Amino acid sequence: MTNETRLPYSVKVPQFEGPLELLLSLAQQGQVDLLEIPLGQIAEDYLSATRSGIDLEQATEVLWTLAAMIEMKSRLLVPKPEPTEAVVVEDQASDLQEQLEERLQEYRSFKEVASALRALEEYQNRVFSRATTGDPEAVVLEGVTIDDLFRAFQRVLERAREDVGEIATEEIKVADRMDTILALLTAHPEGVEFGALFGQASSTLEVIVTFLALLELIKDRRVRAQQAGAFAPITLAMTP
Amino acid sequence: MTPEIDTIKRAVECILLVGGGPVRLQQLRTALEAPDNVITAALAELARDYDGHGLHIQEVAGGYQLVTRPAYADYVQRFLQLEHQETLTRAQLETLAIVAYRQPVTRAEIDAVRGVRSDYVLDRLLDRYLIREVGRRPTLGRPILYGTTEAFLRHFGLRDLSSLPPLANHDPRNALEAVAPQELSVSS
Repeated sequence: MTNETRLPYSVKVPQFEGPLELLLSLAQQGQVDLLEIPLGQIAEDYLSATRSGIDLEQATEVLWTLAAMIEMKSRLLVPKPEPTEAVVVEDQASDLQEQLEERLQEYRSFKEVASALRALEEYQNRVFSRATTGDPEAVVLEGVTIDDLFRAFQRVLERAREDVGEIATEEIKVADRMDTILALLTAHPEGVEFGALFGQASSTLEVIVTFLALLELIKDRRVRAQQAGAFAPITLAMTP
Repeated sequence: MTPEIDTIKRAVECILLVGGGPVRLQQLRTALEAPDNVITAALAELARDYDGHGLHIQEVAGGYQLVTRPAYADYVQRFLQLEHQETLTRAQLETLAIVAYRQPVTRAEIDAVRGVRSDYVLDRLLDRYLIREVGRRPTLGRPILYGTTEAFLRHFGLRDLSSLPPLANHDPRNALEAVAPQELSVSS
Protein backbone atom coordinates (compact mmCIF):
# COMPACT_ATOMS: atom_id res chain seq x y z
CA MET A 1 0.00 0.00 0.00
CA THR A 2 1.26 3.41 -0.91
CA ASN A 3 0.05 4.95 2.32
CA GLU A 4 1.58 2.34 4.60
CA THR A 5 4.88 4.12 4.83
CA ARG A 6 4.95 4.32 8.60
CA LEU A 7 6.78 1.53 10.35
CA PRO A 8 5.24 0.03 13.46
CA TYR A 9 6.88 1.21 16.65
CA SER A 10 9.70 -1.11 17.65
CA VAL A 11 10.92 -1.68 21.16
CA LYS A 12 14.38 -2.62 22.27
CA VAL A 13 14.78 -4.10 25.72
CA PRO A 14 17.17 -6.87 26.78
CA GLN A 15 14.38 -9.46 26.68
CA PHE A 16 12.77 -8.47 23.39
CA GLU A 17 13.55 -6.55 20.27
CA GLY A 18 10.95 -5.88 17.59
CA PRO A 19 7.53 -4.35 16.87
CA LEU A 20 5.48 -3.59 19.95
CA GLU A 21 2.41 -5.24 18.45
CA LEU A 22 4.39 -8.44 17.95
CA LEU A 23 5.34 -8.37 21.63
CA LEU A 24 1.65 -8.18 22.54
CA SER A 25 0.66 -11.07 20.35
CA LEU A 26 3.58 -13.17 21.59
CA ALA A 27 2.56 -12.40 25.16
CA GLN A 28 -1.02 -13.35 24.34
CA GLN A 29 0.18 -16.64 22.93
CA GLY A 30 2.23 -17.22 26.04
CA GLN A 31 5.50 -17.26 24.12
CA VAL A 32 6.85 -14.32 26.06
CA ASP A 33 6.67 -13.99 29.81
CA LEU A 34 5.36 -10.51 30.46
CA LEU A 35 6.69 -10.68 34.02
CA GLU A 36 10.17 -10.43 32.59
CA ILE A 37 9.39 -7.54 30.27
CA PRO A 38 10.03 -4.08 31.76
CA LEU A 39 6.88 -2.35 30.49
CA GLY A 40 7.82 0.77 32.44
CA GLN A 41 11.05 1.06 30.50
CA ILE A 42 9.23 0.56 27.19
CA ALA A 43 6.87 3.34 28.10
CA GLU A 44 9.78 5.58 29.14
CA ASP A 45 11.59 4.86 25.88
CA TYR A 46 8.52 5.68 23.84
CA LEU A 47 8.01 8.91 25.76
CA SER A 48 11.56 10.03 25.07
CA ALA A 49 11.16 9.00 21.43
CA THR A 50 8.11 11.26 21.15
CA ARG A 51 10.11 14.28 22.31
CA SER A 52 11.48 14.65 18.81
CA GLY A 53 8.00 14.60 17.29
CA ILE A 54 4.84 12.62 17.79
CA ASP A 55 2.73 10.67 15.33
CA LEU A 56 -0.74 10.64 16.86
CA GLU A 57 -1.80 7.52 14.99
CA GLN A 58 1.21 5.69 16.26
CA ALA A 59 0.82 7.09 19.75
CA THR A 60 -2.73 5.74 19.83
CA GLU A 61 -1.58 2.30 18.85
CA VAL A 62 1.35 2.28 21.25
CA LEU A 63 -0.88 3.45 24.09
CA TRP A 64 -3.47 0.81 23.31
CA THR A 65 -0.95 -1.97 23.02
CA LEU A 66 0.91 -0.95 26.16
CA ALA A 67 -2.33 -0.64 28.10
CA ALA A 68 -3.36 -4.12 27.00
CA MET A 69 -0.02 -5.53 28.13
CA ILE A 70 -0.11 -3.67 31.42
CA GLU A 71 -3.54 -5.12 32.11
CA MET A 72 -2.31 -8.62 31.27
CA LYS A 73 0.78 -8.18 33.38
CA SER A 74 -1.12 -6.81 36.36
CA ARG A 75 -3.31 -9.88 36.27
CA LEU A 76 -0.24 -12.08 36.23
CA LEU A 77 1.16 -10.24 39.26
CA VAL A 78 -1.91 -10.85 41.38
CA PRO A 79 -1.18 -13.73 43.79
CA LYS A 80 -2.25 -17.09 42.49
CA PRO A 81 -5.61 -18.08 43.91
CA GLU A 82 -6.36 -21.33 45.70
CA PRO A 83 -6.22 -24.39 43.46
CA THR A 84 -9.96 -24.92 43.80
CA GLU A 85 -10.62 -21.63 42.08
CA ALA A 86 -7.78 -21.95 39.66
CA VAL A 87 -9.90 -23.36 36.86
CA VAL A 88 -12.36 -20.50 37.00
CA VAL A 89 -9.65 -17.85 37.05
CA GLU A 90 -7.88 -19.46 34.14
CA ASP A 91 -11.10 -19.20 32.19
CA GLN A 92 -11.33 -15.54 32.99
CA ALA A 93 -7.78 -14.96 31.90
CA SER A 94 -8.33 -16.69 28.61
CA ASP A 95 -11.61 -14.80 28.23
CA LEU A 96 -9.72 -11.58 28.61
CA GLN A 97 -7.13 -12.69 26.14
CA GLU A 98 -9.85 -13.69 23.76
CA GLN A 99 -11.52 -10.33 24.18
CA LEU A 100 -8.29 -8.50 23.55
CA GLU A 101 -7.58 -10.69 20.59
CA GLU A 102 -11.05 -10.12 19.20
CA ARG A 103 -10.87 -6.39 19.63
CA LEU A 104 -7.46 -6.18 18.02
CA GLN A 105 -8.65 -8.38 15.20
CA GLU A 106 -11.75 -6.28 14.70
CA TYR A 107 -9.74 -3.08 14.71
CA ARG A 108 -7.24 -4.56 12.27
CA SER A 109 -9.93 -5.62 9.85
CA PHE A 110 -11.30 -2.08 9.84
CA LYS A 111 -7.81 -0.73 9.25
CA GLU A 112 -7.42 -3.06 6.29
CA VAL A 113 -10.71 -1.99 4.85
CA ALA A 114 -9.66 1.63 5.42
CA SER A 115 -6.62 0.94 3.25
CA ALA A 116 -8.86 -0.50 0.57
CA LEU A 117 -11.04 2.61 0.79
CA ARG A 118 -7.92 4.74 0.45
CA ALA A 119 -7.13 3.01 -2.84
CA LEU A 120 -10.67 3.65 -4.05
CA GLU A 121 -10.39 7.27 -2.96
CA GLU A 122 -7.11 7.69 -4.83
CA TYR A 123 -8.70 6.28 -7.94
CA GLN A 124 -11.83 8.35 -7.65
CA ASN A 125 -9.84 11.50 -6.95
CA ARG A 126 -8.52 11.21 -10.48
CA VAL A 127 -11.98 10.90 -11.96
CA PHE A 128 -13.87 14.01 -12.94
CA SER A 129 -17.46 14.48 -13.94
CA ARG A 130 -19.17 17.58 -15.14
CA ALA A 131 -20.80 18.05 -11.75
CA THR A 132 -17.52 18.43 -9.90
CA THR A 133 -16.62 21.39 -12.09
CA GLY A 134 -20.12 22.78 -12.21
CA ASP A 135 -22.18 24.98 -10.00
CA PRO A 136 -20.51 24.96 -6.58
CA GLU A 137 -23.84 25.72 -4.98
CA ALA A 138 -25.16 22.40 -6.10
CA VAL A 139 -23.19 20.53 -3.44
CA VAL A 140 -24.30 22.67 -0.53
CA LEU A 141 -27.08 20.25 0.35
CA GLU A 142 -25.14 17.12 -0.42
CA GLY A 143 -26.39 14.13 1.50
CA VAL A 144 -29.17 16.09 3.10
CA THR A 145 -32.82 15.29 2.62
CA ILE A 146 -35.86 17.44 3.23
CA ASP A 147 -36.49 15.35 6.34
CA ASP A 148 -33.03 16.24 7.66
CA LEU A 149 -33.64 19.90 7.07
CA PHE A 150 -36.97 19.69 8.80
CA ARG A 151 -35.50 17.86 11.77
CA ALA A 152 -32.57 20.26 11.98
CA PHE A 153 -34.98 23.17 11.97
CA GLN A 154 -36.99 21.55 14.74
CA ARG A 155 -33.83 21.10 16.78
CA VAL A 156 -32.92 24.75 16.30
CA LEU A 157 -36.38 25.73 17.47
CA GLU A 158 -36.07 23.49 20.52
CA ARG A 159 -32.67 24.90 21.32
CA ALA A 160 -33.93 28.45 20.88
CA ARG A 161 -36.67 27.70 23.38
CA GLU A 162 -34.21 26.25 25.89
CA ASP A 163 -31.81 29.15 25.51
CA VAL A 164 -34.34 31.88 26.16
CA GLY A 165 -32.83 32.54 29.60
CA GLU A 166 -29.39 32.89 28.10
CA ILE A 167 -30.13 35.49 25.49
CA ALA A 168 -28.18 38.55 26.53
CA THR A 169 -30.54 41.06 28.05
CA GLU A 170 -30.31 44.59 26.78
CA GLU A 171 -28.10 46.45 29.16
CA ILE A 172 -29.86 49.19 31.06
CA LYS A 173 -27.68 51.66 32.92
CA VAL A 174 -28.87 53.53 36.01
CA ALA A 175 -27.19 56.72 34.72
CA ASP A 176 -29.08 56.49 31.42
CA ARG A 177 -32.32 55.94 33.23
CA MET A 178 -31.63 58.96 35.45
CA ASP A 179 -31.28 61.09 32.33
CA THR A 180 -34.57 59.72 31.01
CA ILE A 181 -36.34 60.58 34.25
CA LEU A 182 -34.85 64.08 34.33
CA ALA A 183 -35.91 64.67 30.72
CA LEU A 184 -39.43 63.50 31.53
CA LEU A 185 -39.67 65.71 34.61
CA THR A 186 -38.27 68.71 32.73
CA ALA A 187 -40.96 68.26 30.12
CA HIS A 188 -43.62 68.11 32.84
CA PRO A 189 -42.80 70.88 35.39
CA GLU A 190 -46.16 70.28 37.08
CA GLY A 191 -44.96 66.84 38.17
CA VAL A 192 -45.35 63.25 37.10
CA GLU A 193 -47.04 60.37 38.86
CA PHE A 194 -44.81 57.64 40.14
CA GLY A 195 -46.52 55.01 38.02
CA ALA A 196 -45.88 56.96 34.83
CA LEU A 197 -42.17 56.34 35.17
CA PHE A 198 -42.77 52.65 34.66
CA GLY A 199 -45.36 52.96 31.96
CA GLN A 200 -43.21 51.59 29.20
CA ALA A 201 -40.96 49.41 31.34
CA SER A 202 -40.86 46.05 29.60
CA SER A 203 -38.96 43.89 32.05
CA THR A 204 -38.43 43.41 35.75
CA LEU A 205 -34.86 44.53 35.32
CA GLU A 206 -35.98 47.76 33.70
CA VAL A 207 -38.38 48.44 36.57
CA ILE A 208 -35.63 47.85 39.10
CA VAL A 209 -33.13 50.05 37.27
CA THR A 210 -35.69 52.83 36.92
CA PHE A 211 -36.44 52.64 40.62
CA LEU A 212 -32.75 52.74 41.50
CA ALA A 213 -32.32 55.77 39.22
CA LEU A 214 -35.18 57.49 40.96
CA LEU A 215 -33.73 56.78 44.42
CA GLU A 216 -30.41 58.14 43.22
CA LEU A 217 -32.04 61.36 41.99
CA ILE A 218 -33.95 61.79 45.24
CA LYS A 219 -30.81 61.20 47.27
CA ASP A 220 -29.03 63.82 45.16
CA ARG A 221 -31.97 66.14 45.90
CA ARG A 222 -32.53 66.75 42.22
CA VAL A 223 -35.99 65.20 42.32
CA ARG A 224 -38.67 65.70 44.86
CA ALA A 225 -41.26 63.08 45.78
CA GLN A 226 -44.56 64.18 47.32
CA GLN A 227 -47.47 62.22 48.62
CA ALA A 228 -50.70 63.83 49.69
CA GLY A 229 -51.50 61.08 52.14
CA ALA A 230 -51.14 57.39 52.81
CA PHE A 231 -51.85 55.32 49.69
CA ALA A 232 -52.24 58.46 47.63
CA PRO A 233 -50.32 58.61 44.39
CA ILE A 234 -46.74 59.81 44.68
CA THR A 235 -45.93 62.80 42.57
CA LEU A 236 -42.43 63.44 41.35
CA ALA A 237 -41.08 66.78 40.23
CA MET A 238 -37.80 68.56 39.67
CA THR A 239 -36.40 70.24 42.71
CA PRO A 240 -36.94 73.98 42.22
CA MET B 1 -28.81 -3.21 -33.98
CA THR B 2 -32.23 -1.68 -34.38
CA PRO B 3 -32.37 2.01 -35.20
CA GLU B 4 -34.34 2.53 -32.03
CA ILE B 5 -31.52 1.36 -29.79
CA ASP B 6 -29.15 3.58 -31.70
CA THR B 7 -31.31 6.60 -30.92
CA ILE B 8 -31.68 5.57 -27.30
CA LYS B 9 -27.94 5.11 -27.00
CA ARG B 10 -27.23 8.63 -28.25
CA ALA B 11 -29.98 10.06 -26.08
CA VAL B 12 -28.45 8.30 -23.05
CA GLU B 13 -25.12 9.86 -23.91
CA CYS B 14 -26.71 13.31 -24.04
CA ILE B 15 -28.46 12.83 -20.74
CA LEU B 16 -25.30 11.59 -19.01
CA LEU B 17 -23.40 14.63 -20.26
CA VAL B 18 -26.08 17.05 -19.15
CA GLY B 19 -26.71 15.17 -15.90
CA GLY B 20 -23.11 15.50 -14.78
CA GLY B 21 -23.59 13.45 -11.62
CA PRO B 22 -24.92 9.92 -11.34
CA VAL B 23 -28.11 9.49 -13.38
CA ARG B 24 -30.40 6.73 -12.14
CA LEU B 25 -31.94 4.12 -14.35
CA GLN B 26 -35.34 5.36 -13.31
CA GLN B 27 -34.49 8.88 -14.49
CA LEU B 28 -33.37 7.48 -17.83
CA ARG B 29 -36.58 5.46 -18.07
CA THR B 30 -38.70 8.55 -17.50
CA ALA B 31 -36.77 10.66 -19.97
CA LEU B 32 -36.39 8.07 -22.69
CA GLU B 33 -39.74 6.35 -22.32
CA ALA B 34 -38.04 3.08 -23.13
CA PRO B 35 -38.02 -0.28 -21.33
CA ASP B 36 -35.16 -1.02 -18.94
CA ASN B 37 -33.64 -3.76 -21.06
CA VAL B 38 -33.34 -1.40 -24.01
CA ILE B 39 -31.73 1.24 -21.82
CA THR B 40 -29.23 -1.14 -20.23
CA ALA B 41 -28.41 -2.51 -23.66
CA ALA B 42 -27.88 1.03 -24.90
CA LEU B 43 -25.66 1.75 -21.87
CA ALA B 44 -23.59 -1.35 -22.55
CA GLU B 45 -23.26 -0.38 -26.20
CA LEU B 46 -22.28 3.13 -25.23
CA ALA B 47 -19.73 1.82 -22.72
CA ARG B 48 -18.12 -0.18 -25.52
CA ASP B 49 -18.11 2.90 -27.76
CA TYR B 50 -16.11 4.74 -25.15
CA ASP B 51 -13.27 2.22 -25.34
CA GLY B 52 -10.18 4.15 -26.28
CA HIS B 53 -11.74 7.48 -25.38
CA GLY B 54 -10.90 9.91 -22.61
CA LEU B 55 -14.35 9.55 -21.14
CA HIS B 56 -16.09 6.47 -19.88
CA ILE B 57 -19.22 5.51 -18.01
CA GLN B 58 -18.93 4.74 -14.33
CA GLU B 59 -21.60 3.19 -12.15
CA VAL B 60 -21.65 5.24 -8.99
CA ALA B 61 -24.05 5.92 -6.14
CA GLY B 62 -26.91 4.06 -7.73
CA GLY B 63 -26.56 5.73 -11.11
CA TYR B 64 -24.52 6.09 -14.28
CA GLN B 65 -22.02 8.86 -14.67
CA LEU B 66 -20.01 10.13 -17.60
CA VAL B 67 -16.51 10.72 -16.21
CA THR B 68 -12.95 11.28 -17.30
CA ARG B 69 -10.53 8.39 -17.15
CA PRO B 70 -8.02 8.61 -14.28
CA ALA B 71 -5.16 8.35 -16.78
CA TYR B 72 -5.89 11.90 -17.89
CA ALA B 73 -6.38 13.32 -14.42
CA ASP B 74 -3.19 15.38 -14.56
CA TYR B 75 -4.35 17.27 -17.63
CA VAL B 76 -7.81 17.83 -16.25
CA GLN B 77 -6.42 18.99 -12.94
CA ARG B 78 -4.10 21.43 -14.64
CA PHE B 79 -6.95 22.76 -16.74
CA LEU B 80 -9.18 23.19 -13.70
CA GLN B 81 -6.22 24.62 -11.80
CA LEU B 82 -6.94 22.22 -9.02
CA GLU B 83 -4.27 21.69 -6.47
CA HIS B 84 -3.87 18.31 -4.86
CA GLN B 85 -7.29 16.80 -4.17
CA GLU B 86 -8.04 16.74 -0.47
CA THR B 87 -7.91 13.18 0.79
CA LEU B 88 -9.13 11.86 4.09
CA THR B 89 -6.78 11.25 6.98
CA ARG B 90 -6.13 7.75 8.16
CA ALA B 91 -8.23 8.30 11.28
CA GLN B 92 -11.08 9.62 9.14
CA LEU B 93 -10.87 6.61 6.83
CA GLU B 94 -10.89 4.17 9.73
CA THR B 95 -13.86 5.87 11.32
CA LEU B 96 -15.65 6.07 8.01
CA ALA B 97 -15.04 2.37 7.47
CA ILE B 98 -16.60 1.56 10.83
CA VAL B 99 -19.62 3.73 10.07
CA ALA B 100 -19.96 2.22 6.60
CA TYR B 101 -19.93 -1.39 7.74
CA ARG B 102 -21.69 -1.02 11.08
CA GLN B 103 -24.34 1.54 10.21
CA PRO B 104 -26.45 2.67 11.87
CA VAL B 105 -23.83 3.03 14.57
CA THR B 106 -23.37 5.20 17.67
CA ARG B 107 -20.38 7.29 18.61
CA ALA B 108 -19.68 5.03 21.59
CA GLU B 109 -19.60 1.93 19.40
CA ILE B 110 -17.12 3.60 17.06
CA ASP B 111 -14.97 4.64 20.03
CA ALA B 112 -15.02 1.08 21.32
CA VAL B 113 -13.64 -0.30 18.07
CA ARG B 114 -11.00 2.37 17.66
CA GLY B 115 -10.04 2.53 21.32
CA VAL B 116 -10.02 6.33 21.21
CA ARG B 117 -12.59 9.08 21.21
CA SER B 118 -13.87 9.88 17.74
CA ASP B 119 -15.74 13.12 18.34
CA TYR B 120 -13.45 15.31 16.31
CA VAL B 121 -13.11 12.86 13.45
CA LEU B 122 -16.88 12.35 13.28
CA ASP B 123 -17.44 16.10 13.18
CA ARG B 124 -15.04 16.43 10.25
CA LEU B 125 -16.83 13.61 8.41
CA LEU B 126 -20.16 15.29 9.09
CA ASP B 127 -18.73 18.57 7.77
CA ARG B 128 -17.82 16.83 4.54
CA TYR B 129 -21.28 15.24 4.25
CA LEU B 130 -19.69 11.79 4.14
CA ILE B 131 -21.78 10.67 7.08
CA ARG B 132 -24.98 11.93 8.60
CA GLU B 133 -27.24 11.41 11.54
CA VAL B 134 -29.78 8.79 10.61
CA GLY B 135 -31.74 8.69 13.85
CA ARG B 136 -31.44 7.78 17.47
CA ARG B 137 -31.23 4.41 19.14
CA PRO B 138 -34.22 3.91 21.41
CA THR B 139 -32.09 3.00 24.42
CA LEU B 140 -30.89 4.84 27.48
CA GLY B 141 -29.66 8.30 26.50
CA ARG B 142 -31.09 7.92 22.98
CA PRO B 143 -27.63 8.06 21.35
CA ILE B 144 -27.36 9.48 17.84
CA LEU B 145 -26.98 6.92 15.07
CA TYR B 146 -24.68 7.64 12.14
CA GLY B 147 -24.79 6.35 8.58
CA THR B 148 -23.08 7.09 5.28
CA THR B 149 -24.38 9.46 2.60
CA GLU B 150 -24.61 9.42 -1.18
CA ALA B 151 -21.58 11.73 -1.16
CA PHE B 152 -19.73 8.87 0.54
CA LEU B 153 -20.54 6.55 -2.35
CA ARG B 154 -19.43 9.20 -4.84
CA HIS B 155 -16.24 9.94 -2.94
CA PHE B 156 -15.14 6.32 -3.26
CA GLY B 157 -16.78 5.61 -6.59
CA LEU B 158 -19.03 2.94 -5.11
CA ARG B 159 -22.19 1.77 -6.83
CA ASP B 160 -23.92 1.09 -3.52
CA LEU B 161 -23.09 -0.11 -0.01
CA SER B 162 -23.02 -3.73 -1.13
CA SER B 163 -20.04 -2.94 -3.35
CA LEU B 164 -17.91 -1.95 -0.37
CA PRO B 165 -14.74 -4.01 -0.12
CA PRO B 166 -15.53 -7.09 1.94
CA LEU B 167 -14.67 -6.78 5.61
CA ALA B 168 -12.15 -9.53 6.19
CA ASN B 169 -11.66 -10.90 9.65
CA HIS B 170 -8.75 -13.14 9.01
CA ASP B 171 -7.13 -12.68 5.66
CA PRO B 172 -6.12 -9.07 4.99
CA ARG B 173 -5.75 -9.82 1.29
CA ASN B 174 -9.50 -10.30 0.97
CA ALA B 175 -10.12 -6.65 1.63
CA LEU B 176 -7.60 -5.51 -0.93
CA GLU B 177 -8.82 -7.74 -3.73
CA ALA B 178 -12.03 -5.80 -4.01
CA VAL B 179 -10.24 -2.59 -4.84
CA ALA B 180 -10.42 -3.01 -8.60
CA PRO B 181 -12.09 0.12 -9.94
CA GLN B 182 -15.59 -0.24 -11.21
CA GLU B 183 -15.96 0.40 -14.85
CA LEU B 184 -19.27 -0.23 -16.38
CA SER B 185 -19.42 -3.77 -17.63
CA VAL B 186 -23.01 -4.37 -18.57
CA SER B 187 -23.28 -7.50 -20.59
CA SER B 188 -26.99 -8.15 -20.78
